[in-house]
Amino acid sequence: MSRRRNEPGGPGGRAGATAGGRRMDAALRLLDHQLVDRDGRLCGKVDDLELERRDDGTLVVTAILTGPGALGPRLPGVLGRATVAVWRRLHGDAEPGASRIPFERVAEIDSAVRLTMSRAEVPTHGLERWARENVVEKLPGAGRAPE
Amino acid sequence: MKRLLSVALGVLTAIGGFVDIGDLVTNALVGARFGLSLAWVVVVGVLGIIVFAEMSGRVAAITGRATFDLVRERLGPRAGLLNLAGSMAVTGLTFVAEIGGVALALELVSSVNYLLLVPFTGLAVWLVLWRVRFSLLENVFGLLGLALLVFAVAVWRLGPDWSSLLDQATHPSVPGSEGVPTYWYYAVALFGAAMTPYEVFFFSSGGVEEKWTEKDLGTSRLNVFVGFPLGGLLSFAIAISAALVLLPAGIEVDTLGQVGLPVSEAVGRVGIAIALLGFFAATFGAACETGLSVGYSVSQYFGWQWGKYVRPREAALFHVVLLLSTIAGVATLLTTVDPIKVTEYSVVFSAVALPLTYFPILVVANDPDYMGEKVNGRLANGLGQVYLVLVTLAALAAIPLMLLTKAGQ
Repeated sequence: MSRRRNEPGGPGGRAGATAGGRRMDAALRLLDHQLVDRDGRLCGKVDDLELERRDDGTLVVTAILTGPGALGPRLPGVLGRATVAVWRRLHGDAEPGASRIPFERVAEIDSAVRLTMSRAEVPTHGLERWARENVVEKLPGAGRAPE
Repeated sequence: MKRLLSVALGVLTAIGGFVDIGDLVTNALVGARFGLSLAWVVVVGVLGIIVFAEMSGRVAAITGRATFDLVRERLGPRAGLLNLAGSMAVTGLTFVAEIGGVALALELVSSVNYLLLVPFTGLAVWLVLWRVRFSLLENVFGLLGLALLVFAVAVWRLGPDWSSLLDQATHPSVPGSEGVPTYWYYAVALFGAAMTPYEVFFFSSGGVEEKWTEKDLGTSRLNVFVGFPLGGLLSFAIAISAALVLLPAGIEVDTLGQVGLPVSEAVGRVGIAIALLGFFAATFGAACETGLSVGYSVSQYFGWQWGKYVRPREAALFHVVLLLSTIAGVATLLTTVDPIKVTEYSVVFSAVALPLTYFPILVVANDPDYMGEKVNGRLANGLGQVYLVLVTLAALAAIPLMLLTKAGQ
């Protein structure tokens, strides 16, 4: 969304957008906020937003983009390109798009963005799962609560 | 009664957990070279960490968001990532210093070379991070850290001339043997030691770990307003004891053993045994806190599940970061780099990194959409702005002073 920030939108040229029927400064209230799943587990950041321009000129948030595919393009220079390249290489698909969470799956927006899905369904859960299966679960005591 | 006990426990652990390797070394070093002429910096630094910690604790209790959540939200991914890199470089350096401090404390007890103890120390720290509940960690090391009160006993037994000490502290002047830039270099170092950024990462993330809500604000403030100043008095006691014993003898502090010398002089063998326990608890507790701070901050930037309130398998990437940073810390020490030197640099770079996290916290604590009625009041904002200027000045001055004085020589 940072690339679209110069489009005429809300006050001050920022992308004021309607999200779930609510009008808000999407750059301040949504972008880079924490995603929380329906069980209260943390599951990534709002790394970018998918916007759609309605006929009346208002911008509407249609989806949350998350994970390296969305974060990479917002990082500068080599670092950003490398993030996207590594993510593409590790991704199964040949031309993967950034992981997308339709805005209908958002339950509530407070200091975090709360989703109606479990974090296993979030498309970027792969890295966390890889770390769990290949590192953490190999160590004794991974499944027990701390004492 | 139970509530009173838990409040008392919180305050006690705040006192015992206040001092870390940076405070131990810097206060003793400065006391031995400058007497009490830099004591005012400790007062300014302790007030600063109180302002900073209260704000970040309040934000954590009201919004449930810890420091690097806010950094990412307010600065965006680019500036946020730079901030993360800078803050983690400093916190990583502090982590190395704390693990080294534990090994040095164990060396003083066992007479085994500290390098042989480093791998075991690293393993012990990692096991605590892996398996031990947050509150247990905080309580055990916080209470054991109270052993450092032996420095206050030492000062009392040395029977100083209090009025001359007070006069030194209230009329600071650069001692004749030291240059003016060196004086200011150590002022910045003491300021950085008192206001180490990891304390705020840890404090705010700890608030989220323990699921603080608005109801816990009173307790959290009590810990900060009572515990931190009393913890600051421990720093003072270390500096005064060094000023009384090491300064007249012309001893400059470059080992952990020298930090404890005034205690053995004034309180004897039992005293030094208690001081060693205090060294161990303070450095081990701080090693866990700095290690966790690295894991917390990286996870908060990327949005991964973090924390010790879930099983390790639920926060896999967080635990991978903890494991890797512990390995990196141990590896750094095994290059035979001097842990005391690492400590001295870590407190100065702490001063450099302070504005990075201080500024976003100040901004969010003023945002009524976030904080509702709990936005900064006039006092918090007045102090907040004064300290924003102070931390910026210290950050800008740190590196030039370091180069100018060849790191305080």
